[in-house]
Amino acid sequence: MANHLPRLQTGVPGLDQVLGGGLIEGASYIVQGSPGAGKTILSNQIAFANAAGGRKVLYVTLLAETHDRLFQSLGTLDFFDRSQLGISVSYVSVFQTLRDEGLSAVVDLLRKEIKRQDASLLVFDGLLNARDRADTILDVKTFVAEVQSQAAFVGCTVLFLASTRVSDDSPEHTMVDGVIDLHDELAGVRTVRRLQVRKSRGSGAMGGYHQFEISSSGVEIFPRLEIAYAKPSDDDNPEAPRVPSRVAGLDELIGGGLPTGSVTLLFGPSGAGKTSLGLNFLSGARRDEPGLLFGFYETPRRVEAKARALDLDLHSLVDDGSLEMVWNPMVENLLDKLGHRLLQAVKQRGVKRLLIDGLGGFERAAISSSRLVEFFAALTNELRALGVTTVATWELRDLFGPTVTAPGSEISSLLDNLIMLRQVEVGSKYKRSISVLKVRDSAFEPVIHEVVIGNNGLSVRLPLEPLSGASTGVGSRD
Amino acid sequence: MALIVIAEDEFLIQDVLAMMLEDAGHEVEAASHGVAALDLVKKLRPALVVTDFMMPLMTGLELARAMRANAELRTIPIILTSGAQGSIGRAEPEMFDAVLDKPYREEELLASIDNLLRGAS
Repeated sequence: MANHLPRLQTGVPGLDQVLGGGLIEGASYIVQGSPGAGKTILSNQIAFANAAGGRKVLYVTLLAETHDRLFQSLGTLDFFDRSQLGISVSYVSVFQTLRDEGLSAVVDLLRKEIKRQDASLLVFDGLLNARDRADTILDVKTFVAEVQSQAAFVGCTVLFLASTRVSDDSPEHTMVDGVIDLHDELAGVRTVRRLQVRKSRGSGAMGGYHQFEISSSGVEIFPRLEIAYAKPSDDDNPEAPRVPSRVAGLDELIGGGLPTGSVTLLFGPSGAGKTSLGLNFLSGARRDEPGLLFGFYETPRRVEAKARALDLDLHSLVDDGSLEMVWNPMVENLLDKLGHRLLQAVKQRGVKRLLIDGLGGFERAAISSSRLVEFFAALTNELRALGVTTVATWELRDLFGPTVTAPGSEISSLLDNLIMLRQVEVGSKYKRSISVLKVRDSAFEPVIHEVVIGNNGLSVRLPLEPLSGASTGVGSRD
Repeated sequence: MALIVIAEDEFLIQDVLAMMLEDAGHEVEAASHGVAALDLVKKLRPALVVTDFMMPLMTGLELARAMRANAELRTIPIILTSGAQGSIGRAEPEMFDAVLDKPYREEELLASIDNLLRGAS
C-alpha cells in the first residue's frame, strides 16, 4: 500500500489541492518569482495560517527591507495578526552573520534558532543573497543541504524564497523537494497571475498553470478546473426522473421534461426568449430543490424585475432561500475562478436547478480558448455528478441569417440537449420560434413551434405555420 | 557622553542607530543578536543598552531578563525599540526602562537616552 507522507496545510485557498494535499512535513521548497509576483504574501499567509493552528514559524531574512516596512505592507492584509509577532511568528535577520561569518555560520545560527523557537515552518527569504556569498557551486549545495537536513531532523518544513527564477539545473533546484513558481504576466492589456508547481517529490501535485489572485484576503489559487475535476466526484444517474421545465407545452416536445442532471443549451439571438425560458425553469425552485442563477449580464434586481414582468415571482423564492442569484459582471474575470465559484455555490446549497446566463461569460474570461472544451467537459461532468439539471444560454451573433454561430461542435457534443430559439419574420410580423435539436437518450418532437411570452412567462404554442427557412429567422410560405 | 550597546539584527537599522548615537557624542558597540549583545554588556559594562525585540538566539526580553538576573548588570538602563512587541515590553516594566515603538523619531530616542543617563548619574 502506498505510504502517505504527513502534510503541513498551507491555509492558502486552492494551494493544498494543487500540492496534492499540502506541503510535505520536513521537506524543503523553493518559492520563486520576479519582484511583485506574490512570494512574500504567499509565504506570510502560510506562516500566519500555521501560527493560527498553534504552530511556530521562523521567518528569516537576508534582505535590505526592514521588518517594520514588511509589517506595514502586511498590515493591509486580513491574515496578518500583529499580536502573533515574536510569539508564534518570529522575524529575524541573519544578514550580518552571512556578511561577517559566511554560510556555515548562518546554518549554525538557523539550527539553533529552529530548535529554540520549536519551529514547524522556516521561511528563508533571500536564497540568491546566500548564493552570492558562496564561493563555489558546492558551497551552495552544501548550504541548502545543511539547512534542509537540520530542519528535516526536527520535522520543520522549509520555504526558500528566490526573487528570480532559479534554473532547472541550478544546484538549489536539484537539492530541494519542490519548486513553486509564481508568474505575473500580461495577457493583452490585462495582468494574469499564475502558479506552477515545477517539481514535487513524493507528491502528486497538479501540473501546469493555475490562476491566482491577490486581494486583501491574501492569495487565492484556482486550480485548473479540468485537472481539479478530471474525475467527477460521483457517478451521474441517467435513470433519474424528468425535471419539469415549467414552460407550458415544452415538456411534451422533449419526452416529459428535462432529463435530471442534464445540461441544456438554449441558443438564439438577443431577444429570442432564452433568459425568459431560463427564468421559467428557475421558477420551479423549491427549498428541497434549490435553484441558482449564475449570470453575467443582469444584476439580481434587474432579473427579478424581468421575472416580475413575466408574472414570475422569483423575489419570494430568493426570500425563502429556494433561489440564489450570483452575478458576475462581464469584466476581467478568471475562467477557473468562475468555474470554482459556480461549483461552490451549487455544492453549498445542494442546487438542483441551475441557469447559466450565459455560457459566453466563460468564453470571454478564457485567456486561451483552446482549453474551453476541456473546461466545459469538467464543469458539465461535475454538474451531472451533483445531480444538477442545468439550462445554459448562448447568444447567437446574428439576429437573422443562414449562419448559426452556435458553440463549436466539440462543445455542443458535451451538452445533452440543444434547443434553438429565434425570431422569425413571417410576412410583416415577427414570431418567436423554438426548435428542439437534441435531447439526450430520448425521442423528441422535431417540429418548429411558436413560443409566446406573456403571463406565466414563456409558453410553447402550436407548431409554426409551414414555412421554409424558419430556422434561419427568415421564413417564406411554401 | 556614554558607552551604549545596541542589540539589533537588522543591519540597516543597526547602522543608522549607531550613526545617530555617535553623532550625538556617544560611543557605540553593536551586536546582531541577543547572545552577542549579552557578551558585549558583560565585557564592556555600558552605561545603557538599546535593544530590538525579535532577534536570533536571544530576544530583547530574554536579554533584559539575563541582565536583570545578574547582580553586576541589573542596574544598566535598557531601552526596548520594537515594531510590534512594545506592549510586551510595557507589560514588563521591571525589565525595560523605556519602550519606543518603531518607527520612532530620532529626538524621542535621544531624549529618552538623556533622561535615563541623567537618572543613572
